[in-house]
Amino acid sequence: MKPAIEIHGLGKSYGGKTALRDISFTVPEGSCFGLLGPNGAGKSTTMKILSGLLEFDRGDVKVLGKDIRRFGERIKEKLGYVPQSITLYEKLSPLDNLTFFGEMYGVRGGELKKRIGEVLERVGLADRAKDPIASFSGGMKRRINIAAALLHKPKLIVMDEPTVGIDPQSRNHIFEMIRDLKREGVTVLYSTHYMEEVEALCDRLAIIDHGSVIAEGELNEVLDRFGSQAVYLELAEGERPPLLPGFGEPAAQGRGWLLETKAPLDALAGWANACKARSLPVKRLEVVRPSLETVFLALTGTSLRDS
Amino acid sequence: MWNVAIKEWKLLLKEKGVFFWLLALPIAFIVLFGSVFSGSGQSSLKISYIDLDQTAASRAFIQAVEDAGGYKMVEAGEADMEDKIQQIRDGKETVLLVIPRTFGQAIESAQGNQASVTVYRDAAAEATAGPLLAVLENLANGYRDNKMKSALQATGRSESWQEQVMAAPFRIDDRPENALTNNGITQYVPGYTVMFVFFVIISMIRRFIGDKESGMIARLRSTTMKPISYLAGMWLAYLAVVLIQCAVLLSFGHWVYGLRLGDVAAVAALVFALALCGTGLGLALAILVRSENQGIAFTQLLAMGGAALGGLWFPIDLMPEAMRTISHFTPQFWAQKAFQDIIVRGMHTADIWPSLIVLAAVALAGLAVAMLRFKSFLKTALG
Repeated sequence: MKPAIEIHGLGKSYGGKTALRDISFTVPEGSCFGLLGPNGAGKSTTMKILSGLLEFDRGDVKVLGKDIRRFGERIKEKLGYVPQSITLYEKLSPLDNLTFFGEMYGVRGGELKKRIGEVLERVGLADRAKDPIASFSGGMKRRINIAAALLHKPKLIVMDEPTVGIDPQSRNHIFEMIRDLKREGVTVLYSTHYMEEVEALCDRLAIIDHGSVIAEGELNEVLDRFGSQAVYLELAEGERPPLLPGFGEPAAQGRGWLLETKAPLDALAGWANACKARSLPVKRLEVVRPSLETVFLALTGTSLRDS
Repeated sequence: MWNVAIKEWKLLLKEKGVFFWLLALPIAFIVLFGSVFSGSGQSSLKISYIDLDQTAASRAFIQAVEDAGGYKMVEAGEADMEDKIQQIRDGKETVLLVIPRTFGQAIESAQGNQASVTVYRDAAAEATAGPLLAVLENLANGYRDNKMKSALQATGRSESWQEQVMAAPFRIDDRPENALTNNGITQYVPGYTVMFVFFVIISMIRRFIGDKESGMIARLRSTTMKPISYLAGMWLAYLAVVLIQCAVLLSFGHWVYGLRLGDVAAVAALVFALALCGTGLGLALAILVRSENQGIAFTQLLAMGGAALGGLWFPIDLMPEAMRTISHFTPQFWAQKAFQDIIVRGMHTADIWPSLIVLAAVALAGLAVAMLRFKSFLKTALG
């Protein structure tokens, strides 16, 4: 599959402060690629460079097969950028805002009218087309914010944390929209610091920390390579899990306990026998898939949300 | 460019504050000052008087004061005299004219008795009392002339000799060369129009800073829009706003206060140059300032300082020489001068070209600054 984005050795500094040290990753065409990292890691800077808003100091960046330095304006014709902030004119309606953005992308007349109808249907707000944006919920505004980047039928959509502070209904709507776009062959670069969003949407991901890519690849591959397996045990309230000789201390997680191990079957069997011997009431006992949270913890030594 | 302008007009139509600053407030000022000065030269200022004489001569004198000064003479009774004088001392009344009992007798006396009238006045109300004293002085001269005429007639000499003796050593030949109409309205309607044109800068700054801080400019840069289209579109939008503003304010002066605009083509040329100037400066400031508050402070300085120096609030010839020289450095001076040239002096486009050139030059300077600084403005607008 052809790459939609190829970045090699990307570096960028602002006034002596290094924002990007060495960013390299490749995004296959038609995939959803997650850019994961804490605030200040360099996700937004990378996205702004890809969207033609920022120049960079070193490295090579190709978007849709073209060098961004030479063909920046041509690339913009096929790229939709969804910024982190909601950049809409709140006193105007979605119709007015989308007309404005559509014309900015060079779509006009009957074609624009048709496209506005389509994107409003896609974001589920066709019935609110003439209401002022100011009367919308945060989630509805986010959906229009995305719609504004879809009017010119882009081949690549760069989404910078598009679900910050929204309701579950809007989040689901946005997820469905991204899945539809993927099915249509559109490449999506999706930045977030919510691991579950990457797990739900993305085929591949890169984890960025302090301006460098610390892990990159397919989701399962990254989880297998960097994540450790674990066994989860949930007992009746107030009960503590038995300690297994040769295994570490289990950590509290949710309503139960998580024991990270390289021998999950042994741990599972050990806990099953120990609970049975002590007649402890077991609610759940299972081998769990490694999570991005644990991967991030393993790679950086800090929890993503804490950082 | 056009889609930026159209979007801007849609936004402006939804912002009530713009209408207040650009139309409602200047109209309020024009109404306020227009009401005060619209009848300039036909003042109906009330003057209280007490006629203790109550003769035909005293009544004729009061009538003469009313006719000469255009005053409305209000009679008070003798019993009110002390009260009226006390009110003048307290600053509640400005002037009281008292005609003594012997006035008629003294006027008609052939014995040389001099009649007198008394003017009680508030020393702080020079603006009212001064003209009244001048009117009384003129009337006294008139009475003296009549008295002299009677004395000359009594000599039995020829009429031509009498006229020769009565003739003043010189006469004033007043020939206003250029004024079609000159009153408060010809000062305040163009004056406040010019002043409030510069308030458009506040709206421009708000939008530029708002677009920068909201990330809108960054987002637009990710589209295929040429950055210069944003600048040009915004300029076009506010240029049209100022043209409409000037048309509304000048039409208001014309239809409500009967302001004669003179050569409409010249007024149109001037309004266009003024709109270019105001919005050109607006573009420069919107690009240069770092915050909305800073922008508003600069705009107030430019609009109010320029209005005071540029002769928008009062005729420029009332200002000291040094200030009159400084005023030439404000665009407001040139705009107001050109308006006065057209409206008061009946001039045409060819006669006001210095003002048009100055206004266009300021507009170009503003545009040049905006263009030069636009790139760094964009760089800081990263969203």
